[in-house]
Amino acid sequence: MLLPELFAMLSSDMFLLLSLLTCLLEDKFPKAVPYVYQMAAVMGFGHLVVSRMFLTVFDEYMRFWYNLFYLAVALANVVAVNLYLAVSKKKWTLAKVWSSAVTFPTVFISIMLVYNYTYLQGATFPTLMLNLLLVLFVVILGISVTVLLSPKLFEKMRRR
Amino acid sequence: MKIRNIRFNKSMKFLTLLLASVLIATANAAIFYSMTMQPQVMVSTPVLKFSTAPDEPNGSTVEDAWCRLTAKSYPNATLTYEQAVYINNTDSDYAHSFMLKHVAITPANGNSAVGNWTSIKFLVYNSSGYVFSLNYTVSVPDWILEPSSGETNYYSIPASEGWWIRLETLSPAAATTGNFCEIQIEVDVQE
Repeated sequence: MLLPELFAMLSSDMFLLLSLLTCLLEDKFPKAVPYVYQMAAVMGFGHLVVSRMFLTVFDEYMRFWYNLFYLAVALANVVAVNLYLAVSKKKWTLAKVWSSAVTFPTVFISIMLVYNYTYLQGATFPTLMLNLLLVLFVVILGISVTVLLSPKLFEKMRRR
Repeated sequence: MKIRNIRFNKSMKFLTLLLASVLIATANAAIFYSMTMQPQVMVSTPVLKFSTAPDEPNGSTVEDAWCRLTAKSYPNATLTYEQAVYINNTDSDYAHSFMLKHVAITPANGNSAVGNWTSIKFLVYNSSGYVFSLNYTVSVPDWILEPSSGETNYYSIPASEGWWIRLETLSPAAATTGNFCEIQIEVDVQE
């Protein structure tokens, strides 16, 4: 059976990945970014420690939502870095590579895990909010892919 | 060589972050693993409970999670306990499924004492009528189970609803008074 803390662990690993990748691409990001992501990952560790300490106090419903929130923050960062590279830095090739190698797999795996978790729990959670959140991610992903595949789309829209 | 002269270049920075990342990821995994290896067994009341019913056989014991019915059977006459025991779904939000499953019976198959009974039937009813049953009939010297697998299908009790078991017994005219059989049935609940 999946524990909701799996999302926190996954999110923390995402922040670590972001930290290492932004370090490798340091000339394209502010110097502090890799360290900020390391701190965010340490917060994930704190998240897990608190969950473990209060395992019998916090009910599963509450644990699910605060872990999901942390996952949403991590995913938002992955997508934001992707957009930053594409829109702000205009590194289209790099943004495409990031999109296919980082953004898509992380979003896909996260959606799969969240759905699997709710399925195993017999859908006892109100899934409407969850569905809206996931749809939002898919829409953001779709827009970013569209923009990356046709970089001049923004310019055309701006002219209109 | 002074330490400040060492250039903290990109590879050093990356190595530092990599080591920190490995440390954090390992600590995360250790904490998560310790959570998965922390089984909890909490004492609680069952979702589907037995409770006493109007036709409960004398001398029976009915507890929340189990019951023991001490029924009689008469030679050449069917004895019916219309509502022998209730099975209540105490969950006010969700329906729960359950089945009746044969576990054991004495006297066992092959014993001539089996011939002291013709049939013992456990029929489950709800307010709309008959739902399903687990029946023991006799073909001397063996018990014949119906369903033959010894277990019924799962049936779902709606939230906050109570069903009951109707118990029917019958012995042949030549049955000897004082013989008794013990049937152990499991109520398998999907919580």
